[in-house]
Amino acid sequence: MKNLAINPRILLSVILISLGFIIAAVPKNTTTPFKLTAQQILDELKSGTQYLDADMVAKMIVDKDPVLQLIDVRPQSEFEKYSLPGAINIPLDNLLSTEFQDILNQDMMTNVFYANGSTRANEAWMLVRQLGYENNYVLMGGLNYWFETIMNPQKPATTSSDDELAKYDFRMGASQALGGGGLVSNTTLKESTGAAVPKPKAQGKKKTVKGGCS
Amino acid sequence: MGPLVINEIISENSNLLLAFFIGIGFGFVLEQGGFSSSRKLAGVFYGYDAVVLKVFFTGAITAMLGLLFFSLFDWVDLSLVYVNETYLWSSVVGGVIMGAGFIMGGYCPGTSFCGASIGKIDAYVFIIGLFIGVFIFGEAFSLLEPLFMAEFWGSPRISEFFGISEGVTVLIVILAAIAMFWGAEWAEKMFPRDEY
Repeated sequence: MKNLAINPRILLSVILISLGFIIAAVPKNTTTPFKLTAQQILDELKSGTQYLDADMVAKMIVDKDPVLQLIDVRPQSEFEKYSLPGAINIPLDNLLSTEFQDILNQDMMTNVFYANGSTRANEAWMLVRQLGYENNYVLMGGLNYWFETIMNPQKPATTSSDDELAKYDFRMGASQALGGGGLVSNTTLKESTGAAVPKPKAQGKKKTVKGGCS
Repeated sequence: MGPLVINEIISENSNLLLAFFIGIGFGFVLEQGGFSSSRKLAGVFYGYDAVVLKVFFTGAITAMLGLLFFSLFDWVDLSLVYVNETYLWSSVVGGVIMGAGFIMGGYCPGTSFCGASIGKIDAYVFIIGLFIGVFIFGEAFSLLEPLFMAEFWGSPRISEFFGISEGVTVLIVILAAIAMFWGAEWAEKMFPRDEY
C-alpha cells in the first residue's frame, strides 16, 4: 500500500455509492405536481375561458350532445336530491381520488363542473387545470343561476332586443325539455335555437411525447 | 422545468436537433469504447470482456442518479417522463431472441450501426439480417399479435412493484452494478483471451 494514488475503480465506486445513499435518504420531491404555474392559472382565470354559460349548457343537454359530461361537485346527499340530466357526482372532497382521473384527464369529452354557485366548481376547475388536464369547464353561476335563467326564465321587456327575446324563447323551450316550471312558449324550440351559442374555447393542446430505444 | 419539449421550453424541431447531436455523441462514445468489435461485444457472454456490461450499467446508474437528482432540484418533472409500457410476453420472447442474436451475431441493433459506420462487413451482414427479421415480423404480425399484446402491465416501475422508494431502488441497483463489475473483472482474469 505504498502507492498513494487512489485506484480509479474504487474512487468511482465510492462516489456512486455515496450518491446512491444520498438519493436513498432524501424524500422524493413532490413539491411540483402541478403542471401550470400560478401565473398561467391566473391568466386563464382572468380571461374566463373556463366558463360555459347556462344557455350553452342547456342547449348541449337538449341536443343530447354526446361530448357533454356534466360533473356535479356537490356532496352526494345534495346530488341525490337534485341533479342536472346525465350528470355524474364527483364530490369536491374526492376530486383527486384515482378512480375519477380517467374522467377528468381525457381529451374526448367536454366536462362541465357545477355546484350551487360558481365557487366550488371553480375550485374543482383550478385543481384539475393545475394538474394540466384539458377540456374541463365551469357552469357559469352554478345551479342558482341555472334555475333563474333556464328553469324559470323571466320574460324580458317588450322593448328588449331580438337577441334577448330569442334567448328567452330558447330558455322557455329548454325549460320545457328539462322539466322546469316555464310556461308554454308561443314560439317553437327550433326557431328559438337561433340564439347565438358560443363554442368552448380551446385551452391549449395536449401533448404526449413517446420515446424508446432498442 | 423539464422535460423541455412537453413544457414547451424548446420546440419539437429543436428537440430533434438536440437528439441528433446527442446521438452522434453516443455513437462516438460507443465506437471509442470498442463497441464496433463483435468479438469484444460477444465477450460478455464468454467472460473474457465485460465492457458491454460495464458501459451499459454505468450508463443506467448515471441516468438514474441524474434523473432523481434533477427531480430533487426541480429541474425535471418525473411524472412527465415517458416510460415504456410493459407487455410481458413480448419482453420475454423478444429478450430471448435478442440475446440469442447478440451471441451469434456479436452485435445488438445499435452497435451494428456503430460497426457499420467504420465499415465492418459483419456489421453490414448483421443489419441485413435485422431488416429480414423486421420484414418477417411485419408480415407475420397478425399471427404474432396475440403474443405481442399479451400481459399488458402498463408502465410499472421496479420501485412501485416492490413498494420501495425510487431512491432506495437506485441504491440497490448501484450496489448490484458494482458487485457485477467486480465479478465481471474477476471473470476477465479467469477466462482470458489473448487476441480478439
